Amino acid sequence: MSTESENIESFVNRRYEHGFVTDIEMDTLPPGLDENVIRAISARKNEPEFMLEWRLRAYQQWLQMKEPTWAHVRYTPIVYNDISYYAAPKSDKDRPKSLDEVDPKLLETYDKLGIPLHERARLAGVAVDAVFDSVSVATTFKEKLYDAGVIFCPFSEAVENHPELIRKYLGSVVPQRDNFFASLNSAVFSDGSFVYVPKGVRCPMELSTYFRINAANTGQFERTLIIADEGSHVSYLEGCTAPMRDENQLHAAVVELIALKDAEIKYSTVQNWYPGDENGKGGIYNFVTKRGDCRGANSKISWTQVETGSAITWKYPSCILRGDNSVGEFYSVAVTNNFQQADTGTKMIHIGRNTRSTIVSKGISAGHAQTTYRGLVRVMPQAHGARNHTQCDSLLIGKDCGAHTFPYMEIRNPGARIEHEATTSKISADQLFYCRQRGISEEDAVNLIVNGFCKEVFKELPMEFAVEAQNLLNVSLEGAVG
Amino acid sequence: MTTAALPMDVLRRVSTELPNDRLTPVREAALARLQESGLPTTRQENWKYTDLSGAIEVVERALEAGSDSPGADSVQPEIDAVRNTIDAHWLVIANGRITGETPPDLQAAGVEVVRFSESSAIPSIDEPLAALNAALLEDGLFIRVAEGADIDKPIAILVIDDTDTTPRMSQVRVAIELAPNSHAQFVEYHLSSGTAEHYSNTVIDLTLADNAKVEYLRIQNRSLNHSQTERMNVQLGCDSQLCHCGFDLGGKLSRNDLHIDIVGAGANASFNGLFLAGDGQHIDNHTRVDHRVGPARSTQEYRGVLSGACRGVWNGKVIVHAGADGTDAQQTNHNLLLSEKSEIDAKPELEIYADDVKCSHGTTIGQLDEAALFYLRSRGIDLQHARQMLIHAFGTSIISKSPLPSVAELLRELVEARLNELVASDAK
Repeated sequence: MSTESENIESFVNRRYEHGFVTDIEMDTLPPGLDENVIRAISARKNEPEFMLEWRLRAYQQWLQMKEPTWAHVRYTPIVYNDISYYAAPKSDKDRPKSLDEVDPKLLETYDKLGIPLHERARLAGVAVDAVFDSVSVATTFKEKLYDAGVIFCPFSEAVENHPELIRKYLGSVVPQRDNFFASLNSAVFSDGSFVYVPKGVRCPMELSTYFRINAANTGQFERTLIIADEGSHVSYLEGCTAPMRDENQLHAAVVELIALKDAEIKYSTVQNWYPGDENGKGGIYNFVTKRGDCRGANSKISWTQVETGSAITWKYPSCILRGDNSVGEFYSVAVTNNFQQADTGTKMIHIGRNTRSTIVSKGISAGHAQTTYRGLVRVMPQAHGARNHTQCDSLLIGKDCGAHTFPYMEIRNPGARIEHEATTSKISADQLFYCRQRGISEEDAVNLIVNGFCKEVFKELPMEFAVEAQNLLNVSLEGAVG
Repeated sequence: MTTAALPMDVLRRVSTELPNDRLTPVREAALARLQESGLPTTRQENWKYTDLSGAIEVVERALEAGSDSPGADSVQPEIDAVRNTIDAHWLVIANGRITGETPPDLQAAGVEVVRFSESSAIPSIDEPLAALNAALLEDGLFIRVAEGADIDKPIAILVIDDTDTTPRMSQVRVAIELAPNSHAQFVEYHLSSGTAEHYSNTVIDLTLADNAKVEYLRIQNRSLNHSQTERMNVQLGCDSQLCHCGFDLGGKLSRNDLHIDIVGAGANASFNGLFLAGDGQHIDNHTRVDHRVGPARSTQEYRGVLSGACRGVWNGKVIVHAGADGTDAQQTNHNLLLSEKSEIDAKPELEIYADDVKCSHGTTIGQLDEAALFYLRSRGIDLQHARQMLIHAFGTSIISKSPLPSVAELLRELVEARLNELVASDAK
């Protein structure tokens, strides 16, 4: 316990430690968005014609859309023409062939972040495809994956090398006109990760990507596409940190998952972007569309997320349970402190027979923060035997914060069994008292209780993330206790 | 999606044809309000699952037909029949018109009943359907219960409408005020007859002063070509108690909005509902509780049984405002789907801005428990009876929460009769 309380002491005084700016020359487009910008992005990435057309179609649709206002978040309006839509390190054209060729300043950045890319990747057995701003810079363990037949590469590389897969699957889960932010992403996405796991292959290692927003006034628009072919299995980890900035930065990503027959995808996220300072100034605007399609029978998609960062979070990782007997899972911890606002949840669309879904959402609000769970469970008439269990609990720390629950249930099949329960409360005085009378300090006790509250979700995380997640939780709640 | 616009000119004409009285300026304000807001459409979050366009069409045709309210004449036998079933002080609104005299013994018991046009009461117009109601309101009932009064038997409000061949609509407005330390029971009974379509629009305001106590029973048993919307606004003072129970058995479209505003510490609101929907029915219950101060308590339980091509909606919202510490709010909703064509949309919402609270909600949706069915069948009960027993048990558990023991027997008969119809249609 004593080490833990020392930790808290240091957390209380700790500032956002990932807030630094790497000084690298950037090849950046001027702010603004029109067709020329999209052509320029596409040209810089040497994209084939079909990609450019795809982007332009998305842009035309985006122009006709309105920014959604239904979320329980408030922010100063985003001026889309003040954002620069492309930033890439200068050394883009002659890409490094190995880590030795990587710009030392970049490696330094990762060191500061605590990600010794070359060491950690090997030690942890994790292949890291690190996105530094918009262009993937280094990719490791590629060969090992290649031997297994797994394609894991930057999105732009996949467009070049595997256009048939891109054509077949891109936008098949999140269509271009799905929503305002997904449309914007479809038009201007710079890069991201692409994963294809062939039939019957169990991916030999956890895949991980670290996204990082670096250049000021640059929106980051990644696009991730993961395809698990029949009978395959893949676990993908995504973690995020961003430098400290006063100006709000927009982040609109799209993640598409496709699980074919008997395949399984596990997608874990730890999101720790700059949340703004204690007065609510600055921070990332995080508007993300994540969706998985259980296309084949007996497939499974599992989302696990720990959301501690960003000033605004707007994120609903969803599952379309199309295949018979397919399974969708959503485990989430959302922590907000100071003036953070998070509107997050999931959608489970039951289409196939005997589809099952589980939703476990834990929201923690402290300071002046607002956390919202927003979820949809829809059972279509043909989804006989559909089953859903939802549990969303909220914990309030402090009298100025808020916790909200907006679950939607639309059920059209009499054979469905749907259960939903939610609770909202502050930390139980009884529990606190119990810990205190056993000599545990108040902060330790709160930490203990909060960690216990989130345990159900943390145990779903891959081991290396579970530790990080617990640390993040403590950092996020710094100054909220007592 | 609803895009139907009201024919404002016709509406204006019908409104101005009403007698020139104290309500005239309110009607004008309501028209202006309505012109500005229009009626709710499914694009609005609160009306996402309920399409009013069918009801709006009835409004249009009723406005065009423009027939004057026939009053109570055509439904006198029905009124008499209902009056005999419940021992209460009866107030009757037939075809949108307040009819009959106020029972004399009511005044002796400490209850004052006046009309809006004769009192200082002003109908609210803040919400589109309330504005429609005010714009076309002939008159409303204003009921005041004196301080410390304890009324011996329920005050029953019968709302009855009939349509012969032309579509009609009616506006019902009731305001009830309970002075401190008073206690009263209310029955609100909606009935209809006739074959043509009808739309009834009811707005009820109920205010409980400190330490007042109300038991309120609402029964809606309209015929299947009559639609209705109802909005009830309740304000609860310190230590006041409300026990509300609503039963929706009939109606083509029935939408109920129950808004409870807790403005006094120590208030306690318990409200429950049962809706039974069969072929062609759409029943929507929206509840909203605003906990503005604490400590206070609200509990609700709604149950729905759906059979045939029908839709049920339940949306419960609890808002705990900043500073309302000591709030205890619970929502429960259980739904039984008996047919392939039925749909239920449930949305339990919590919006919480205070930390010393205890809030929870639970919702279940499903069919009959296979294990329970098997248990009954293994004891020699045939499938149909076993189903019937379980469905009845599910539906009638709300009756036990009904606050008026004197009406429990009638309620049981009504619910069982309707459940039997649903089970029978389900078995086909």
